[in-house]
Amino acid sequence: MTYEIILDWLQASLRWSAPLIICAMGEIFAERSGIINMGIEGIMLCGALCGVAVSYYAQSQAVALFACAILGLVLGLIVAFLTVSRRTNQVVTGLMINLLAIGATNVIFSVLTVMRHKRATTFGALFPESMHRIPLVGPVLFAQPFTTWIAIFIAFIASFVLYKTRWGLNVRAVGDNPQATATAGLSVIKLKYQTLILSSIAASVAGGILTLASSGYFAAGGMTGGRGFIVLAAVVVGGWDPMRTMFACMLFGATDAAQLRLQTTESIIPTQFLQMLPYVITVVALTIMVKRSRVPKTWGAAYDGRRS
Amino acid sequence: MRTKEKIIKVPFIGDLIYSSGHTIVGILLGIFTGGLLIAISGVNPFLAYASMFRGAFNSLQSFSNVLVRSSPLLLGGIGVAIGIKSGVWNTGIEGYMYIGAIGATIVAIPELGLPPIIHILLCFIVAMLFAGLWGAIPGYLRAYKGVNEVTATIMLSYVAIYFTNWIVSGSPLAQEGAYFPMSLPFAKSSLLSILMKGTSLHPGPFIGLLMCIIFHIILKYTPFGFRTRMLGHNPFAAQYAGINSKKQIVITMVIGAMLGGLGGAIEVLGLKHRLYMEFVTGVGYESVAVALVAGGEPIGVMLSALFFSILKVGGATMSIETGVSSSMASIIIALCVLFVIGVGVADSKRLKKRDEKDPGKKTLSFKMEEAVK
Repeated sequence: MTYEIILDWLQASLRWSAPLIICAMGEIFAERSGIINMGIEGIMLCGALCGVAVSYYAQSQAVALFACAILGLVLGLIVAFLTVSRRTNQVVTGLMINLLAIGATNVIFSVLTVMRHKRATTFGALFPESMHRIPLVGPVLFAQPFTTWIAIFIAFIASFVLYKTRWGLNVRAVGDNPQATATAGLSVIKLKYQTLILSSIAASVAGGILTLASSGYFAAGGMTGGRGFIVLAAVVVGGWDPMRTMFACMLFGATDAAQLRLQTTESIIPTQFLQMLPYVITVVALTIMVKRSRVPKTWGAAYDGRRS
Repeated sequence: MRTKEKIIKVPFIGDLIYSSGHTIVGILLGIFTGGLLIAISGVNPFLAYASMFRGAFNSLQSFSNVLVRSSPLLLGGIGVAIGIKSGVWNTGIEGYMYIGAIGATIVAIPELGLPPIIHILLCFIVAMLFAGLWGAIPGYLRAYKGVNEVTATIMLSYVAIYFTNWIVSGSPLAQEGAYFPMSLPFAKSSLLSILMKGTSLHPGPFIGLLMCIIFHIILKYTPFGFRTRMLGHNPFAAQYAGINSKKQIVITMVIGAMLGGLGGAIEVLGLKHRLYMEFVTGVGYESVAVALVAGGEPIGVMLSALFFSILKVGGATMSIETGVSSSMASIIIALCVLFVIGVGVADSKRLKKRDEKDPGKKTLSFKMEEAVK
């Protein structure tokens, strides 16, 4: 009995961490280029609604994820225009994108009444049914929806791109010393636009996966439940490094899965205290890890081409 | 260019007109874009805005609603504004309001046999104490551990929300067998009195306005206010001047939290008369919006809080009369802020060019650049 619960928990941990990992990989690039994309919470929320709605109307998950990516591109352009071209404060811009997203998803969801009681089909598993019966690894790994595998794959890709390619080097350089990068003949503005759009697409797709890989429902009014901010914390805890951030995301995913499992069991702890768990763990992890991380040098500062 | 120079030379008012110019342009752009969105959703935007206006100003009752709804925005707005002045983002107002309301609830439920004024003051003090302690956590983490305060405050807001949910559904303070999770009713002596018959107008908004004036004076004329502003303008200079910046950060965050807690207490004592789940949802983000449109100035908070509360109250009427969802109000609020900051930076760019020509006038652009940092 306990064995099964633990297996179930491990399985759910990976499933819950998949959207966090995807979102975090985008955010790493944005923050490495010196821009905090605080709007990922709101963009994720928009992606969640977009994923459910498109997969309901188009009856195709591939189309749904593609629509999420397009939505992320558009929102990313808005964020990039404001924070890079207009040099607005990144915290404010992000928070207002979140407020905008909460309002917009509420408005759109109130129009889409047909969707209220319909459940979108969730993602299937990557590996065939027969492999799910292998003890231990079967249920934990092979029964995962294919998005989990994609998330882990993306983390490795992100690590490779960031450290082994020219573009990754440029991104890291921009975050640490934009003036030097500009002197070397690279367009700082263009790079920042690219990373911001990348992070927004990642957040939007992560939102789509959040609903399509687990429940298949959208709940109006903040169904992302602060996951965007948990991702921001995970990136800091992981020290802006894709691999370490992936493990941080898995830790937060595991906490989330654990509190959901514990709620269903008859425990003496009230459910509300279990629901607090992911947020408390996030703050604690941030507090422990924040001093050990090496912050990109121009983290959060606006780049002004004329001032050098 | 010449006329602008002239405007600035008019003492006080010229400065004000010039510095609030981008705010007004931003708000107008926000309202315009909101109108476009309403038009896209198939409703005549003029009709929608007309019903919004009627919803806010139609009768004494609706205007008192505007005032009542502005009370948490006013207190939350100053809370965030003080943070902005000292260079921290105190975005956890929603959490402080819940914790403050819990504090007030604990003292408000039992019949203490006190005269109402003392009982209410006791509720306020306990609420501010609770919220202040709660705000000290992210303040300490920010100042001494270097944890980003935005993430910390928002995470703690979620903790506060779930804590409130427990208080109203599982704790000894919860009303048993209620159809909706709520706390026990408050004692009569703890409730704020209604100022006008037939409306729900309680003293809360006036407390909020008073706080705006008090904090305007504190920030402008006291050593504490000077230290706060200095820290926000230039943390390094503040350090060299011997200001204990860490302590200052904790204090400003605690004050912001106490104001938020007071706002939460007023909300439950004046309007709800019990503690409910999620009774101030969304106020956290909206307080940030209020403080930003006000440019971090407590006096500006008065105007922007009233403006946003008109949008919220009018939005509810608009939703009944035209079918546009009332969440459109929060979209318009967010759009206004995005336009205000988008336009504002361009404005400061122009001012800086002027500064480069004439270094003697290096006040406004400096202020605005630092205000948003």
